[in-house]
This record gives sequence, structure tokens and C-alpha cells, in this order.
Amino acid sequence: MKKYFLSAVLAILTLSSCNNEGSAVNTVESMKTPQMENFDKAFKSLGDPQNRPTEEERKRNTSELSDRRKALLVPASKELILSSGVTEAELMRKTGGDMSQIIVWATQIYMQKSDEIKKNIKSDK
Amino acid sequence: MKKLLTVLGLAAFSLGYSQGGTLILNNYSHYDFVGYIIANNLAGGCYPWITSANPEMVRVPADSHMGNGQELRYDNYRDQHDNSSYPMASWLITLSNTTNITRPWDHSSLMPGGIYSNNTRWATTKFVMYYPGTTTLAPDNFNGAVTIATNSCYTAPDHFTTSTGSNSAEIFTISSGGTNYTYIQLF
Repeated sequence: MKKYFLSAVLAILTLSSCNNEGSAVNTVESMKTPQMENFDKAFKSLGDPQNRPTEEERKRNTSELSDRRKALLVPASKELILSSGVTEAELMRKTGGDMSQIIVWATQIYMQKSDEIKKNIKSDK
Repeated sequence: MKKLLTVLGLAAFSLGYSQGGTLILNNYSHYDFVGYIIANNLAGGCYPWITSANPEMVRVPADSHMGNGQELRYDNYRDQHDNSSYPMASWLITLSNTTNITRPWDHSSLMPGGIYSNNTRWATTKFVMYYPGTTTLAPDNFNGAVTIATNSCYTAPDHFTTSTGSNSAEIFTISSGGTNYTYIQLF
């Protein structure tokens, strides 16, 4: 009798641990740092009506995002670079405050972090 | 030694610049994107001209973007196959208005630093938007094409907004020091 009881307890424990696993599933969104989230939001904000390209911007003879719209991405890009352990002084020395350089650098950091998260999720499964 | 360094430097440069770098497509809209991904030569003539071939049109579901890790990202014609959530198995290569060849993603001619990679860049998408999981067109004529500004090989704007203003599509680049990101964004 005692044996049956013990095995029942064991079964319940096993089942409940399976249950926990379900609730602990990680998604890319839940594993992102706040700096990564802000970087995402900045890119999404380019579609807000006031941030869409103006008539004048559309007449420019280049495919490069306009300076006005790049400026919308810079604060989140800086935050992301600083969160990777780079100091403010180093950031300024390397980029000279150039918006394109800051955004490209941040994008590289972002992609690397995002790939790491995706890998972790895969190996958890 | 100096020669070797020069060659290595050139190789590194052309790798960085191949295909104008990485393509990122963010679909922030409530509709599925189904479209061709097209690259072409912008440095003179329009060929080679490279189009997604298998599948011809890629479906990027509604609400798939960097924010949830579901964006379409193609680093180059080859590596996208193993690294992207939307692998392209083959590309259609147009060399003139009479010559077409289809090549698998791992064909040597498509490798980074190869002839096609070095002479083309991500330029255009021609697409339709559907209600999620269907082939029912999104409202308000939310479909068409966008091509990067300065591309004289394809007639399309680089940005458009639907008549109600609810949706828009655009393509642009962000470049620095030989690194180039091309973004296609659907809102």
C-alpha cells in the first residue's frame, strides 16, 4: 500500500513539473533587454503619420533614410550601444556623433543579441 | 606582403559591400505580406537582375518584425538559406532580356563576394497584402511595389501610403563605412 502511495506522489510530482515547463516557455519578446525593445519601437515609429517621409524628403536623390528620420533612431541606438558595455566617451570617439555610424553599430549589436536569443530558445526546446 | 594585404583588404571591402549588405523586412501591419524580393545592378545597365524563385513570392505573416524576432532577414543570397526564418531555396538570375537561369542558393556563383553578389544590391519588392492566412486582398489597395530611390531600372516609388492613410510601405537604406542595411517596412 505504502509503495502505491509513494508512486502516486511521484507521478503527481512528475506531472506538475511538466506543467511548470509550459509556463516557463521563453519567447524572443520576453528575453529581450529594455534597450532592444526601445530599438524595435524606434524602427516601428518610422511608420507613425508624423514620421513618414515628407514630400521634400521624397524628392532627394538618395535611398538613404533622411537625417530627420535617422534622428528618430539615434537615442535608442545610443542606449543599446551603451548597454553593451561601451562608454559614452568611447561611443563619441568612435562615431564622432555621426548618426549613420551610430545606427549601423547599434543594428549590428542588435542582430547579434537577437541571434543569441533565438539560439537559446532553440537549444531549450 | 603588401600585395597580399591589398587583396585581403579589397576582399573584405567587397564582402562588406556585397548586395548592399543585409536586407531586413519588417511587417508591422495587420496583413500578410506576399511578395517578390528583387535585387539588381545599379552601377550601369540593370543586369544581373535577381529575383526570388523558390518560393517566387515570400509570405511574411502579419505582425512579423524585429520586435518579435519574426522579421525576414537576408544577409546574402547564400547564407539566408540557413540563417533566415524565410529560406529562399533558389534565385532566378536574369542576365539580359533573353537570358534567364535559376540557381540553387548554394550555387558557387551566388556566394558572398561572387560575381552576382558583388554586382547587385537589394532594390525592390513587388507585393500584395492579404488578410492573415488567406488570399483575400487587404482593403484600400494596400499592394504594389517599392524600389530604392535612384533605381532607374524599376518604375516604382520608394514609399507609398494607402488612400485612407491607414497603411504604408517603404524601402530605404542606412549606410556607414561600407556597411549597408536595406530596410523594407510595411505599416
